[in-house]
Amino acid sequence: MSAAAVPIPASRFEAAAMVIAPLVLAFAGAALLLAVAGHNPFEVYQLLVVESFGGTRRIAATLAAATPLMLTGLATAVAFRAGAFNVGVEGCVYVGGLAAAYVGFTYVGLPAPILLPLALLAGLVVGSLWMLIPGVLKAKLSVDEVVTTLMLNFIAISLTAYLVNGPLLAPGSANSATPVVDAAARLPRLMPPSTLNAGFLIAVALLVLYWLWGQRTALGFETRLAGLNARFATASGINVPSLIIKMMLLSGAIGGLAGAVHALGNVGRFVSGFSPGYGFTGIAVALLGRGSALGIFLAAILFGALSASGATIQLFSDVPIEIVNILQGMVMIFAVARFGWTFGKKRRAA
Amino acid sequence: MIENVLHSAIIMTTPVLLAALGGLINRVGGLVNIGLDSMMLAGALIGLILASQTGSWGIALVGAAAVGGVLGLLMSLCVTRLSANEIVVGLGFNILIAGLVRFFLKSAYGTSGTLSLPDVARLPRIDIPVIADIPYLGAILSGHDPLTWAAWLMVPVTVWFLRSTRLGLRLRATGSAPEAARALGLSPLTLRDASTIFAGLMAGLAGAYLSIGVVGLFNEGITAGRGFIALAAFYFGRNRPWLTAAGALLFGFFDALQIRLQGRGVPAELIQTLPYAMVIVVLTLMALAVRRARAKGA
Repeated sequence: MSAAAVPIPASRFEAAAMVIAPLVLAFAGAALLLAVAGHNPFEVYQLLVVESFGGTRRIAATLAAATPLMLTGLATAVAFRAGAFNVGVEGCVYVGGLAAAYVGFTYVGLPAPILLPLALLAGLVVGSLWMLIPGVLKAKLSVDEVVTTLMLNFIAISLTAYLVNGPLLAPGSANSATPVVDAAARLPRLMPPSTLNAGFLIAVALLVLYWLWGQRTALGFETRLAGLNARFATASGINVPSLIIKMMLLSGAIGGLAGAVHALGNVGRFVSGFSPGYGFTGIAVALLGRGSALGIFLAAILFGALSASGATIQLFSDVPIEIVNILQGMVMIFAVARFGWTFGKKRRAA
Repeated sequence: MIENVLHSAIIMTTPVLLAALGGLINRVGGLVNIGLDSMMLAGALIGLILASQTGSWGIALVGAAAVGGVLGLLMSLCVTRLSANEIVVGLGFNILIAGLVRFFLKSAYGTSGTLSLPDVARLPRIDIPVIADIPYLGAILSGHDPLTWAAWLMVPVTVWFLRSTRLGLRLRATGSAPEAARALGLSPLTLRDASTIFAGLMAGLAGAYLSIGVVGLFNEGITAGRGFIALAAFYFGRNRPWLTAAGALLFGFFDALQIRLQGRGVPAELIQTLPYAMVIVVLTLMALAVRRARAKGA
């Protein structure tokens, strides 16, 4: 079941087509839908572009919306690189976000240089631990990680909902929210009044590290080898199970960090329905970006732009914001499909 | 209280059971269907609209099953003919269909999230004369609708289909040894498409059950992740229909219990985690058993 999710391109031309084709198809499909519903697709798309990139303030909003997606896309990509298909990043966002918020509203009084890193670290560690069980089960017992991580998403969402409705509920507040985190735990804003914050710098720095790690280090090479062909990697002396556990923990850590950044940078607390599907969008980001650092960056900005502008176009026109989800779902489906050249051929062995 | 819980446990089981049996057949054919939830959602919406416009719950069920089947076909074609990864396509379908449904509600009805229509033909209740008065048994067996009965009837039918029919045998061959199946002159891809269409039909019915069987209206959150509970049920049941049904029933029971226990100090959210946790435990135990068996054999 965890066989190659992304078709491997044969040539440079094919590689370029594989990135562009899903986008073109998705936008064409959504255009058709918009036209049927009585909107002018060209006007809508123009509006989307203007609202997401027309001006410094709007670009800042787009980058702010892209920040958690860079992290969840990266989290998906690192696990995928080792051949583990982690669909549980959404759960890591939840538990990591709650852990970071907890530190942020509990240890008030600590100075920012201590409290902020501590809160980020809490998100990172808890997110990582959340992936320990599926990582170990996959590596040691070959238990399908897709199922276990998917199940853990629902457990994470319900478990955090329980905590913020009960033990961690803000005193005297409305339902389902923790107290607000201390000002010292907030990620500094980069361009007020936009919500763009230092989390963006963290995400970009991690993407650069990821690029260096994949290009320059032995572990990066071994991981890619293990992901491409586990049996060959084992034969060349690589300890594949230990690699899978490491990469699942790393994936969970980055997913938890995404939650921490969302909690400390955007929301300022943990609320129920904390993530608007960041983990799932992260899968689309990783797929569209083909697992490369630059690809993840650009794909995250694309989806960030869609969600940032989607919210505003709904205010100024009668175009439903759902067009964003529709595009996202179609990009995901088309990103893993192989068109034309394999049609009818027997490719699927499993 | 106990009779109430038993009765609503059966009701809560029906949609999960329908979708889980569809997913089971799909998995036997070699495709793990993560998109069941989207097919349920579409079935729930179409079922409600048809039940209101035609006044016939029968037509509504047919329509809901049809829309689920079409979605199943589309999903299957992506996987079998375009070599797309089934997990990604399934997750993509869930995002896409949820978006489409909300887009449609806004465009066609101008509402967001909830759709309430006049004159909805609800599923009828079948009261069984004598049994209805027997304590406990009456609550379990009487007062249910035709779809619930059909869902349970499908359990032995699925057993029989997989064990004793030519098509069932071919489907099993397709799922476990596609190369061998092809060598025998079967078309694994077509069989797999058929099994996904079937899963879609069943999930569509499951969705219609939620909208015209349980509440009589549509809400964007009406499935409440039951497509994933169905996934949990057939993983829990390890492709065996009766065990899958037992899993669905267990989840239905938790669901009913959770509603009953609300406001009594038992956190519903923690009970909701149980089915998912159970799947992880069962998969772990199975893997341990396999390893032990292998160690003995070696």
